[in-house]
Amino acid sequence: MELPKDIESKWDAQLRKGTLELVILAALKGRRLYGLELLGQLQSLETTAITEGTLYPLLDRLKRDGLVDAHWQQEGETRPRKYYQLTMKGEGKLSDLTTRWRKSTQDIEILLHNPGPGPIRPKGD
Amino acid sequence: MSDREMIHNYLQSLMRFLSRLDREDADDVLREIESHIYDVMEMREENGQIIDASAILEGFGQPRDLASQYVDHILKGAPPPRGFKAIQSVKRGATSGLRYATALVGYVTAATLIIVGLYKLIDPDAVGFWANESGESVVIGALTEVPAGTHELMGWWLTPVALGIGIAAAYLTSRLLRVLKLKS
Repeated sequence: MELPKDIESKWDAQLRKGTLELVILAALKGRRLYGLELLGQLQSLETTAITEGTLYPLLDRLKRDGLVDAHWQQEGETRPRKYYQLTMKGEGKLSDLTTRWRKSTQDIEILLHNPGPGPIRPKGD
Repeated sequence: MSDREMIHNYLQSLMRFLSRLDREDADDVLREIESHIYDVMEMREENGQIIDASAILEGFGQPRDLASQYVDHILKGAPPPRGFKAIQSVKRGATSGLRYATALVGYVTAATLIIVGLYKLIDPDAVGFWANESGESVVIGALTEVPAGTHELMGWWLTPVALGIGIAAAYLTSRLLRVLKLKS
């Protein structure tokens, strides 16, 4: 018998896997962040808490795909940090993924609100 | 082991596993991770928390696993350099033996040409490009005796031509090795 906690963490892990790109792009929307800052923001939310080992390689891929820009910057006495921000292409991808995400949650809501035995009735029918 | 030693060892190990990347890309990855680790350590120090390097490194996972995440998608995503498309299929089966053989043949050819080109300046009469009347037999190199029945074709042109081809061969070899190094 699985404990509710186990189910929770397994579910979160599965969901994170599929939504990681959307999560990172969304976190960078309108923000310019370096890795540690971005990680802190994601870890401040219960279901988007990822590890360093997941974040950095993914940022590297997003950069290679042209979805984010990265620049080293040094401020005052601090050590140089690599800052990330969305590119135009990244903004476009975020908007596409957002649309799909919303559609998906709407569909799941419909299922949740339409228990049997009758047929499922999408909203508006 | 001190925290700094532990971090140093981790980064050294990561660097080894990242060796399939371009040097520049690997350095960038290491620099970013190093910057992150020391930022976290400083933050903890300022907040009076215990600095535990092993806990910080745990978030990155094993160096081999972390590196493979960088290397895997680079191998899938990077297009080959222009003119190297045909090498893609060769690359998949490339072994370290093939890399060494390529390096040996490429660099020895390049070095030989460059040496011949330069030696022409030191001993112009001994170095040349000789062919017999019918063109069936050619000799290029530094000789004590000119081969019988041949004549020299290039004269001083030998130096720039040999140097040019030599440098080009060295450049192409290094490009080729870089491609082969990506997957082996």
